[in-house]
Amino acid sequence: MGKKEKVSVRICVGTACFVQGGADLLLYQDFLDPVVLAGCDIHGISCISGCKDDTMAVRPPYIEIDGKVFGEMTQDKLCKLLREAVHA
Amino acid sequence: MLELNNQYTTIKRQVHTEVLKQFFQDTLVQNVDKIPIQLIPKQRIPTRCCIYKERAMVRYRIMAFLGFDIEREDDEMKSLSSYVQEIMEEDKPLSPLLTTISTACSSCPPDRYMISDACRGCFARPCLSNCPKDCITFSGGKAHIDESRCIRCGKCMEVCPFHAVVHIPVPCEQACPVDAVKKNETGYVEIDWDRCISCGKCAISCPFGAIVERSTIMTVAKKLKNRDHMTAIIAPAIEGQFPGTLAQIKHALLATGFTSVIEVSEGAHETCLHEAEELASRKREGTGFMTTSCCSAYMTLVDKHLPFLENRRSSALSPMAYTAMLAKERNKDTSVIFIGPCLAKKDEAASLGTIDGVLTFSELASLFVAKDIDVREMDATDLEDVSRFEDCREFALSGGAAACVNKRAAIGDEISFFPVNGIDRKMARVMKTWEKRPVDADLVEVMCCEGGCINGPGVVVKPSVALRLRGGNRASSPVEAMRAILKPKE
Repeated sequence: MGKKEKVSVRICVGTACFVQGGADLLLYQDFLDPVVLAGCDIHGISCISGCKDDTMAVRPPYIEIDGKVFGEMTQDKLCKLLREAVHA
Repeated sequence: MLELNNQYTTIKRQVHTEVLKQFFQDTLVQNVDKIPIQLIPKQRIPTRCCIYKERAMVRYRIMAFLGFDIEREDDEMKSLSSYVQEIMEEDKPLSPLLTTISTACSSCPPDRYMISDACRGCFARPCLSNCPKDCITFSGGKAHIDESRCIRCGKCMEVCPFHAVVHIPVPCEQACPVDAVKKNETGYVEIDWDRCISCGKCAISCPFGAIVERSTIMTVAKKLKNRDHMTAIIAPAIEGQFPGTLAQIKHALLATGFTSVIEVSEGAHETCLHEAEELASRKREGTGFMTTSCCSAYMTLVDKHLPFLENRRSSALSPMAYTAMLAKERNKDTSVIFIGPCLAKKDEAASLGTIDGVLTFSELASLFVAKDIDVREMDATDLEDVSRFEDCREFALSGGAAACVNKRAAIGDEISFFPVNGIDRKMARVMKTWEKRPVDADLVEVMCCEGGCINGPGVVVKPSVALRLRGGNRASSPVEAMRAILKPKE
């Protein structure tokens, strides 16, 4: 413990993400497992620019975990992704 | 009611955003007929029967968004671009506010109770002994319901220890508090306008998206493009609907093209003053309870279904009406646009005549996205002196309106109040009994949507999230964390 770096999580809170379900992700303190929560460093970011990238196959809301962008994020998906990232 | 995040709302927002985007780029007439194909591409795995039906549904949604009443103005041969041209020429009226897409309707069978495979045909058989109509029979070791005798009371479901009885509702009919949603002779949904109170609950309950709002956003969009003088009057529920503070939301509206922004809370303050005064005089005369009058759906409910409550309603105008007066006072040539979570307000606006347009938060969200406006990146505007009416922002929550009236009542007046937190079928029945048995309270606060306006049919964010993003008074630990996320970086 203590050696491992925290997983860097950036939640997109740009208007497009926020109004298409991204707002739900802000409840992360409620739905994430406390152990996972402790292993993550969660920030908000204004726009990951996912919505402006035409090559992006997935739709908002976007989230970035350790530099990798994921789309169509839901509370369940986020739980799973972060659990994997923290316990990796 | 449907969970707010679902495929239907996602598609709807995509359609709305795309139409507005093209409109502001001046390419709507050329491209509008391509939008259904663009949004439902060939590769898509359809959720309805096929992609062609899905495209047809997008077409109807565009028509409703442009302001057409699909039931009346559906000409299959007419292209969407001719509809767009038509809407550029003339504005459509505010009502009717709902329209139905009969081909989207799934003609759900009448609501019923069914015994599922989970039935174990137990020895106690509480369903059998508790059914008031003796319609449960046993065969093959399982219970069965005799449909012809079942009165849909739900007793069997309540008592089954295995949760084996399921209720299969008709979502739109169940959501309607006044039995205004029906099936016509062909089995498709139809709204009985003589009964409808415009609450919008059916529209947000149908899982097939067959009941849609007829938007009037094009009236507003055209004015925005012409750079007309426009005043956005924003309902108190707006706080928490967008990623930013109230001051940032105000700035975002100015950036969108509105000339000025006034909080409806300012008008709510007037409403409260009137109601407090009226309440005091009613108390002196001992005439019994008074109800609030800020909820438009409730006002229509009284007009159409509960006429005996007519004189019980406070005579104060709604916060929207007072705010519109304020806006016109400040600039008599301004177009007043109400932005709120409510559909019923469109009906009220149509009868008032001082309101030039009504938008829902959800329509505003599409407008923001189409115009690429990032609320969180906005500077905070000066909200000026709000101390007079700041507490009226609580009008958006159940219990908030009554609290504000109470605060403005003369000291020494003990006011007891009774909240109607959401009008569903049951509550509508309870309210009917008030004719014979008046409520034992001084003030009855009525909110048609459960939880208040933050749960209205036009909201973007679930009440549970919105509540935490609002104001500072509800602070608890998660709020801090959420607000930190929303704060723009220095």
